[in-house]
Amino acid sequence: METFHNIGTSTDWIVMVIYFLAIMSFGTYFGRYTKDTSDFFFGGRRFSWWLITMSIVATGVGSHSFVKYSAKGFEHGFSSSMTYLNDWFFVPFFMFGWLPIIVYSKVRSIPEYFEKRFNPSARFLATILLLFYMIGYIGIGFLTLGKAVIPMLPESFQIFGSIVDITLMRAIIVIAIITGIYITFGGQTAVIFTDLLQGFILLFAGFLLFILGITYVGGGQEFWDLLPLTWKLPLADFNEPSSFNFVGIFWQDAVAGSVGFLFMNQGLLMRFMACKSVNEGRKAATINILFVLPLSAIVVGNAGWLGKAMSVMDPGIVSPNTSPDEIFVVVASIVTSPGIFGFIMAALTAALMSTVDTLINATAAIFVNDVYRPIMKYLKKKYDNNKQKDKQELFAARITSIAITAAGVLSVLAFIQFPTVYEAHGYFHSTLTPPLVVAIFMGVFWKRFTPAGVITTFLGGVVLMILGARFPEVFISPFDHGIEMNPDRPYSYIRAFYNLIVCVGVGVFVTVTTVIQKNIASTIKSNKNSKSIMWVLSVFTGVVYLLAILGFSSLQFIFPVFIIVLVPIIVTYYSDYDEESSTKGLTVYSINEAKLAFKGSKVNEKLGETVEVNFFVSDHEQDEVMFSKNDLLKLGAEVGDLVYLSDKRKWLGGLKSIHSKIGKPHNEDGKVYLSEDQIDHGLFDKGKMLIAEKEM
Amino acid sequence: MDYFSHSWLPYLYLYGVGGIFFFSGVYLVWKTGAIDLSKSHHRTWMKVFFLGYAWFMIVHGLFTYFALQ
Repeated sequence: METFHNIGTSTDWIVMVIYFLAIMSFGTYFGRYTKDTSDFFFGGRRFSWWLITMSIVATGVGSHSFVKYSAKGFEHGFSSSMTYLNDWFFVPFFMFGWLPIIVYSKVRSIPEYFEKRFNPSARFLATILLLFYMIGYIGIGFLTLGKAVIPMLPESFQIFGSIVDITLMRAIIVIAIITGIYITFGGQTAVIFTDLLQGFILLFAGFLLFILGITYVGGGQEFWDLLPLTWKLPLADFNEPSSFNFVGIFWQDAVAGSVGFLFMNQGLLMRFMACKSVNEGRKAATINILFVLPLSAIVVGNAGWLGKAMSVMDPGIVSPNTSPDEIFVVVASIVTSPGIFGFIMAALTAALMSTVDTLINATAAIFVNDVYRPIMKYLKKKYDNNKQKDKQELFAARITSIAITAAGVLSVLAFIQFPTVYEAHGYFHSTLTPPLVVAIFMGVFWKRFTPAGVITTFLGGVVLMILGARFPEVFISPFDHGIEMNPDRPYSYIRAFYNLIVCVGVGVFVTVTTVIQKNIASTIKSNKNSKSIMWVLSVFTGVVYLLAILGFSSLQFIFPVFIIVLVPIIVTYYSDYDEESSTKGLTVYSINEAKLAFKGSKVNEKLGETVEVNFFVSDHEQDEVMFSKNDLLKLGAEVGDLVYLSDKRKWLGGLKSIHSKIGKPHNEDGKVYLSEDQIDHGLFDKGKMLIAEKEM
Repeated sequence: MDYFSHSWLPYLYLYGVGGIFFFSGVYLVWKTGAIDLSKSHHRTWMKVFFLGYAWFMIVHGLFTYFALQ
């Protein structure tokens, strides 16, 4: 396989450095809007759908990157776009199930949802799995960044008389340091705004490359004619080759990946939660999936398609043996001039960085919310006031960001063995997402799903998945849809199907046998030696679990049975779970209750209009705003309703805005009274008009 | 050469099996009252769901058709 070094010129490097400095300055400027952890993690829940949609472009495209998709575009054609065009199937579940629940229940992280819905043990296990997932994803991001940058670097350089080889890992370490510095000082608001800018740049750079490439090969018709037939088909072959087939990628990406993307990606969820309202979040998701993702598919894959056309046109220009992961850089360097190449490379690497820094930010959010805060609570840590608490948590968030960056670099070592980033990502996704994806899905959409069900899904599901990974010819091959097993990397994608089935199977089995578990737990409780019995049972289950994970016994095929039977009994014995109270506002069956709890009173469903007002200062202390009686009529609002106030200049996208409650009305039409704190938090400018709209 | 396994077979599987997930989701959010068709903006969202599904079917269908010509 042909690999490259020293692609690009000094002009390109100058352009790249200027680009990065500009982006970091832009982000640092908006970092000053980070006043507390709400801003650091959620951007203050204030933004318009269009701003969030464009900012998601950089995050989404970065995670499904130029490098990966150009590689598959080069090897297989338009079917490289499959993963960008298969996210619609779970949209109804997301828009009217998960999104309103996480906004109205005010959870700050996915593990926090698990505690509210089930119990603290479920939260603990979800936290561990989610941290593994997020850190692994960061590792994939760093690996992709490294592979993108390496072709531009020399093979080695001289420092203090010694020759130092530039290896992939060394390049990744330097990239990680730059990424870590940026996210540590910026937070979510910085990320949203730099992603917004980079979203536009990315689309522009990708389409520029496509146009230049089409021109290079002689036009659109020539491009189409140069491609072999199978390169033109939008879907891959049903079940071959094992390294890239439709059915494996359907289960790994369209099912596990889409649910993971919409339900489990804390970074993306934080973007939707940064929208000013649930409906605004729905709009952002719709436009993103329907239009932006298909455009992004063209942007990230076209270098591979062009590379194939060029290799057919003249193998001397692009060799058919070019390393697929380097095809993007190779094609970009051929069709562009110096400076333009640097700009495109800057856009590529910046997009990847935006994905990685979103993930680091999100992982820090999970760590602070689900590890740091519970530990402080356990230690009975006292704060003088909320400001001090927030300041310390912000500091903890920044330190965590640094630690997570380092963990992400270490995780690269697990993925470096795969021939392409696409396969590394596919394997990672199909392995790590199923337990959490199944648990979240069943938690939200199945009221009967119990704590025993969720905890056994995590523990039992993981054991069965590990068994499948150890003996794929026994466990996964019945589900392989005819895909040939590669003994070096068996069933990279279709293992997701097996993993989903075992996790769903465990969850369903445990939940439908709840009555039996309750009877056994009651019988044990009524025994005078109940504590000893439970102690023995718990230790035995723990030992069996450890042996199953480590694979130390020939009985490992039987261990899952013990785990699936005993874990639910232990959980049922120790937990005190009431379905009615635990599911209120936390499942799709009780969204209205969630809205009620969010508002704190009955929801006012009356439709109203937006109202333009001038703001004035009032010395009230409560978090309330006061409109005139006539303005309230126009808003369709009453005292106690929630209202969103933003600067009238729509191009700000909600940067200057607040949410508040409506207080006692006055008689001055066109005026709203705010406190100094509210004006400060909303970043409102004196003399500028505001727009008010009723929330919910 | 028969390209069925590379063209219409994955297409049918995608919108068949994917369709099971999609229509289950639509049914569930409607049945539970999460989407309330007495509200005009919820009716709009329901239309968006079906139009979105049709949009992707059409895009994939057209590309498959033209590639095989």
